[in-house]
Amino acid sequence: MHSLPRRRFLAGLLLAPLLTGCFASDSGEASGASDGSRLRVALAFPPAENYSPYGADATLLSRLGVTEGLTRLDANGTAVPALAESWSRESDRSWLFTLREAAFQDGTEVTPKAVAASLTRATRAKPVTAALSGVELTAEAADSGRVRVTTAAPDPVLPLRLSSPGLAVLSAKAYAKKDAVSPVGTATGPFEFTKVTGTTAATLNRFDDYWGGRAQASGIDAKFIADGTARTNALRTGETDIAEAVPVSQAASLDKAIRRDTATTRTTSLLLNTKSGPFKDPKTRAAAREAIDTSAFAKGVYEGYADPGAGIYGPALTWAADKRAKPVGRAEAGGAEGTSVTVATYDNRPELPEAAQVLKQQLERAGFKVELEVREYSRLESDALAGKFDAVVSARNTMLDTGDPVSVLASDFTCDGSYNLPLLCDKTVDKAVATAESITDTAKRQDASMAAEAAVLGTDAVVPLVHQRIITGVGAEVSGVQLDPYERGLVGLGTRR
Amino acid sequence: MTVVRGLVPLWRAVLVGALLCGVGLLPWLSRTDPALTVLKARSAERDPTPEALEAVRSQLGLDAGPLHLLGSWLGGLLRGDAGRSWISGAEVTPAVLQALGVSLLLMAGALAVAVVTAGAVCARTLWLGARRELAGRPSAGTGSALLSTLPDFLTASVLAAVVGVQLGWLPALGWYGPQWMVLPALSLGLPAGALLGRLLDDMLPGAFAEPWALAAAARGVRGRSIARQALRRCVPGLLPNFGLFVVGLTGGAVAVEQIFDIPGLGRLSLQAAIAQDLPVLQAGTLALVLLAAAAGGLARLVARLLVGPALRDGALSSLHRPTPSRPTALPLLYGGLLLAVIALGLARDPQKLDTTARLQPPSWARPFGTDALGRDVLARVGHGALDTLALAVAVSAAAFVLGVVLGLLPRLSGPLLDTVNAVPPVLAGLLVAGVAGSGASTPALAVAAVAWAPLSAHTSALLQQERATTHLTATRGLGAGRLYLLRHELLPAVLPPVIRHALLRLPGVALALAALGFLGLGAQPPSPEWGLLLAENQPYAERAPWAVLAPAAVLALLGAVAVTAGGGVRWPGRARRRRSVKSLAAQPPATPWSSPAAQQPATTAIKESR
Repeated sequence: MHSLPRRRFLAGLLLAPLLTGCFASDSGEASGASDGSRLRVALAFPPAENYSPYGADATLLSRLGVTEGLTRLDANGTAVPALAESWSRESDRSWLFTLREAAFQDGTEVTPKAVAASLTRATRAKPVTAALSGVELTAEAADSGRVRVTTAAPDPVLPLRLSSPGLAVLSAKAYAKKDAVSPVGTATGPFEFTKVTGTTAATLNRFDDYWGGRAQASGIDAKFIADGTARTNALRTGETDIAEAVPVSQAASLDKAIRRDTATTRTTSLLLNTKSGPFKDPKTRAAAREAIDTSAFAKGVYEGYADPGAGIYGPALTWAADKRAKPVGRAEAGGAEGTSVTVATYDNRPELPEAAQVLKQQLERAGFKVELEVREYSRLESDALAGKFDAVVSARNTMLDTGDPVSVLASDFTCDGSYNLPLLCDKTVDKAVATAESITDTAKRQDASMAAEAAVLGTDAVVPLVHQRIITGVGAEVSGVQLDPYERGLVGLGTRR
Repeated sequence: MTVVRGLVPLWRAVLVGALLCGVGLLPWLSRTDPALTVLKARSAERDPTPEALEAVRSQLGLDAGPLHLLGSWLGGLLRGDAGRSWISGAEVTPAVLQALGVSLLLMAGALAVAVVTAGAVCARTLWLGARRELAGRPSAGTGSALLSTLPDFLTASVLAAVVGVQLGWLPALGWYGPQWMVLPALSLGLPAGALLGRLLDDMLPGAFAEPWALAAAARGVRGRSIARQALRRCVPGLLPNFGLFVVGLTGGAVAVEQIFDIPGLGRLSLQAAIAQDLPVLQAGTLALVLLAAAAGGLARLVARLLVGPALRDGALSSLHRPTPSRPTALPLLYGGLLLAVIALGLARDPQKLDTTARLQPPSWARPFGTDALGRDVLARVGHGALDTLALAVAVSAAAFVLGVVLGLLPRLSGPLLDTVNAVPPVLAGLLVAGVAGSGASTPALAVAAVAWAPLSAHTSALLQQERATTHLTATRGLGAGRLYLLRHELLPAVLPPVIRHALLRLPGVALALAALGFLGLGAQPPSPEWGLLLAENQPYAERAPWAVLAPAAVLALLGAVAVTAGGGVRWPGRARRRRSVKSLAAQPPATPWSSPAAQQPATTAIKESR
């Protein structure tokens, strides 16, 4: 009789290793680092494509300090040296980049040939990385440590473009496999991957031969936690040192000392359908614009973690506010009374449905009748692009992968734009955008993009609601976190615990 | 008969095949471009330029058409290769197997909690039954009814925030070892266990009233043994539902997996369903369907082991309650409370926003506080009642009818319900939306298409036992036809517990309806529908608990009304008179150790009810 419990106990012992297979493996503390402690980071977006540098995972790689390109963006949005020490424009279509002395994480040297090969691979990726969308680019090694990059059409913003995480430089080893590009141990940044656990965790060590010196942290233990509350909880329980993208609803649960907010280039706007429905009439659009009080969103919905909408570009682009021109050619408001409209938005960010409901109230006060439609983003987009709604509330990063402020105007508000939610096709706007696209000088290009912004706002096709701020939870003992408005950096040389 | 039995595996295979085909055709059914959803799942901010879409299309071979894709996937499956994910390009088989392992472990933990909970729920009945003191007692169980209506995401949020973060007793997120299992298992297991416990508690008095129990008690067999045998008598009726829980918890624990960051199958298939990552979705569905078939088979086997000989020989007796459980005033109390809350809320404005008064705690002016946009929660609860209840009741009624009808045809419905139950709710929503379009009735259809399964399982399990009862043999012997048996013997015996079961699941139906909202199906903000209220206030559960507790409490009240009303309603005034009549009938006040003489009235009651 008493053998039964014992047998059960034995069975339990035998089952135990089986069961541990069903738990996620903990990346744990990889010890052996001589100095500096490891950083634990909770990231919001798990790798979607196995850390391929050509998609969204590119940003992840650059945020963890794994990859770098020839250039990078500074806080003012200008291109500054990274792997390239300097550059010059040879002709309309051709640029020369002088490389610095640097090494890949696999020990090989960063040579013009390797860089040219890496860039060439990026141009052949399918689908091509976003920064190269619609651009024909060739790269070849030139003499004395230089790389020549040529484009089919004149490209005045090429140095900005090359700052894109999608154009990171990897060693030949990264391309060894036929159908996948691997950044594990093949990049040039201050940290290198040592272990990747599916889409749940990754372990990184410091790359000691980094050209910019040794990083202060000896390594990074990254975890991917998609749920915002769970990420915040990880920081509160001390399981992580840095928690990325704390949701607004959870910000209040963090101590003031450990939550940092940074202005981002993300703007939440109301985009009005200019092609069909009631908002085809500029007067009705003007009435909608006048009905909206942007401060209610920044304070009431985003709890102060946003700035009231001023234009398409927010305060994260430090140069924008001074150069802002008054919108031109706005229509007189009218025709709101009794007009029924459908406003669509998505719930991937919980603030958006809330903003839409506040918007509904504001529009209804002005006499509109509003119907809301809230869906998951992928269920909404094709209908929105097809103009099935009268208006869409959408959050958009105004600084796309190209690093060029004009890109967002071209894709979102011109006749040929690929992401034209307001379905706007306006000659004045197209002309202003085309003018801005042709200018090389950074300051003048910024002036021209502000003029184009004024032209877009003049049509009232878009009503900027708020410019979002991103909240990063940073543990009290951590210093040197990169709070990057372009969201391309997080952990860097000086980040430590 | 044998022909029919031989056809069952074939029917099951046909169903699984149809389901996999449905999943494989999903984008084409719902007319959404998989290239677009895949591109967006890979990189949310990527502009869908025609070139990018074309690149995805040619990479995945989408132009070959759904049938070709499905064919090559099935071909690969025969070789043990479930293809590669459309999003990440990684192999599907190891990813799905790993997620399945995690989910099975989570489910095992949840079941352990559920069994303990169910035990606690039935403890009182077992205790009283073992001492033969059950007769005439009103059934308790308001507590378990309340517990069974708790939405798992609410329990999970509260446990993670309070036990995990504030008290720091147990890890609040991750999946690295046994102590990480406790909180998720509790959040899943408590409501499931309460529901199973309720159903079991519903049948136990019947078992205790059977002649063998009486004889055993008279023979001096210990109460504990009698209780054990009573359990053994009742559990087979619940096993099919237990099997359904096994599968449902494995594939449908999405909210809990998200809150505790568990890399399980529910999250994997949800992501795959949204991104239309068909290879992953098909493999995940297949895994769940196989699990469902195994669990169903196992449940039937265990049921046969427990009551097999009696089933074969038709030697069971009917599990009627010995006396109809005594009507109580409780449903009136709960119902009155519910109505009062709704009436108070209806007098207020549910839409008025005031972002300066967000997340205000309850006060005299706003008894339930305000939500994240400064709206009056009481007003929203009141105004949401009609929509929520009307739709949930309609769907429950449809599920009940469907469940009973299909439950009468177990050979037809057995494989069907195994298959249906294995479909994660979101996938069911997508499939129904694909077939029926995203009209106003789609969410109701989608929920009804799944909600009949547990009722049907319950019905057929009870029927199987009821058919093997001695009194049925007797009636048959007197020349009763099949229709007569069905109308006068089988249905009257089976329907009451199934009705109580359906009522118990009513709040769950309301939640399921709301859960489809994010697909653009069902109620849209700012509608104050209860499920939507719960969902939109969930992010604020820790800062403004009242905003989630209020809708959760009314749902729980609804559950309590449903359960207590199952035993009949009594007006307080009339009842007092009846009780005095009863006390005249020499029923002594029950004491834990009552004398054999005290059991006398109970036994006569049993005889009278036969």
